[in-house]
Amino acid sequence: MKRRFSPATAWNRFWFAPGPAVRLGLARAIFCGSAFFFYLPQDFTEWGTAAPVFWMPIWLFETFHIPVLPSHALGMLQTVWKASLALCAVGLWTRTSAFVAAALGMYLLGLPHNFGATQHFDTLVVFAFCILAMSQAGDARSLDSMLRPSRSRAPRLGAEYTWPIRAMWMLTALVFFGAGTSKLRHSGIEWVLSDNLQLLLMRAYYHVSDGDPLTSLGLVIAQHPFAARVFAATALAIETLYIIALFSRRARPVIGAAGIALLVGIRTLMGPTFEPYLICALFCFPWHRVEALFVRLVTGPSPTPEIAEPRRDPPAAPTPQPAIVFRSLL
Amino acid sequence: MSRTRRWIVNAFLGFLIAGSLYDIVLDQEHWPFSQYPMFSGIWRETSFTWYRLVGVRDDGVEVTLDRNAFVRPFDQSRLHLALVRLAGAPDAANRLRKAVENCLQRYERRRVRGAHAGPRLHAMRLYLFKWRLDAEAQNVDAPDGRQLIAEVARSEAGLP
Repeated sequence: MKRRFSPATAWNRFWFAPGPAVRLGLARAIFCGSAFFFYLPQDFTEWGTAAPVFWMPIWLFETFHIPVLPSHALGMLQTVWKASLALCAVGLWTRTSAFVAAALGMYLLGLPHNFGATQHFDTLVVFAFCILAMSQAGDARSLDSMLRPSRSRAPRLGAEYTWPIRAMWMLTALVFFGAGTSKLRHSGIEWVLSDNLQLLLMRAYYHVSDGDPLTSLGLVIAQHPFAARVFAATALAIETLYIIALFSRRARPVIGAAGIALLVGIRTLMGPTFEPYLICALFCFPWHRVEALFVRLVTGPSPTPEIAEPRRDPPAAPTPQPAIVFRSLL
Repeated sequence: MSRTRRWIVNAFLGFLIAGSLYDIVLDQEHWPFSQYPMFSGIWRETSFTWYRLVGVRDDGVEVTLDRNAFVRPFDQSRLHLALVRLAGAPDAANRLRKAVENCLQRYERRRVRGAHAGPRLHAMRLYLFKWRLDAEAQNVDAPDGRQLIAEVARSEAGLP
C-alpha cells in the first residue's frame, strides 16, 4: 500500500528522530571549546571608546534601545561571556552557561555591526549559541552528566539530541543559499562570466577587508581570466546548491566539505575572516563516530553501546570495512 | 520530550527558518538574520577609491595607517564604510573631523599601551585614496591620486 506524504510527519522525522546524546554533547564541547579559544584574545572593550559619531545602530540595537556600554562594563561582560563559553565547553552548569553565552554573545558579537557596517562572519555563531541555550546539550560528555546521580541520568537516545544538530545544518545551508541567491538576484550569471572575480581578487590586496589575503595566490588567479571564472562558477554553484545537503545524505559530506573549502578559499585569496563559520562546521561534524572509531581502535572491534547510533538508511547497512570507515564518518 | 517542550522547540525552529527566509526572499538584513549580500554585485571598474587614515610623524613624514592594528577596534573595511556613511550625512565635514579625532585618540592610546608598533603621531589625516588596479598590486603604497578630507592635530585631539 502506498503511504501518503504528510508534511507534519516529514517535519517530525527530520527534526525529532531519536539521536545519540553523545553526538550533541561532543558537538557542544568541541564547538564551545573552539569558540572559547578563538574569542579569548579578542577585546570588545575598545568599542566603548569609539566616538558617538560612529554609532549607527542596526535594527536589533535600535528597536530594543540597546546602548554601547562603557569600556569597563564591556570588560566585565566579555569576561563573563568567555567564562560561560569555557563552562559550556566542559559542560558545567550547562543550561545556565549556554544561556549566558547566547545572551552575551548576541550583544558582544552584534556590537561591532553598529559601527558603520554589518559584516556577516559571525551570524552563524550567534545562532549556534542560541540553539545550545535551547537544547539539552549537557546530557552527555559533560561534567554535569558525570556529577549527576546515575538514577537521574538522561537517556542515551532521544529526540532532544537531533534537532539542535539539524538546526545547524539548516542554518548553514540557508547562509550559503542566501549568499548564492543574492549573487544571482543582483548580478545573474554575469557574476561568473564577467571580469568581476578577477577584479575583486586584485582589489583584495589593497588592504580593504577585515583581514588581508593569506597568500598571493589570488593575484596569480586574477591574471588568468578563465581560472577566475572557473572559481566564480564553482563558488556560485557551491553556495546555491548547498541546500541539497539538507535532503541528500549521500551529497551531504561532499557539499559540506566543498562549503568548508570555499570558506578557506575566500579567507586565503580574498581576506574576509570567515573563521567563525569553520568553528560552526565543527558543530555539524559527527564527532561521536570519530569517538566510536577511536574507542574501537583502542579497545577492540565491538563498539560501546553508549556511542552506537542506529542507522535507518539503508535498512540493513553492512558494517563498514576499515578501508571505507573514514567515509562513513561523514 | 513533552508536548509543551516539542511545541516550544518547533516555535523556535520556525522562528529561525522564517527569519532567515524572510531576509533572503525580501533581500533585507536584520542581523543576525541576513540575505548575505557580500560580493553580490558585479565589479567592473579597474580603479577604485578608499578612505585611508594617514599619520603625520613629529618630523612631518606621513605614514599610511593601512594595518588593521592601527585602527582597532575597526578594520579597514568597516572604517571605510563608516566614513562613507558619515560623508553622505548632513554636516559631513564636522562628523568626519570628529571621526578622525577619535581615531587619533585611539591610535595613541593603543600605541602607548603597546598594542601596535606604529610611530608617535603629531597629527592624523584622512584621505580618499584612488588606485588603478594593478595585476600585481605593486601600487598599494603609491595610490594614483588622493584627496585630503580632514586633518586633526595632536593638540586638537586633547593629547599631550
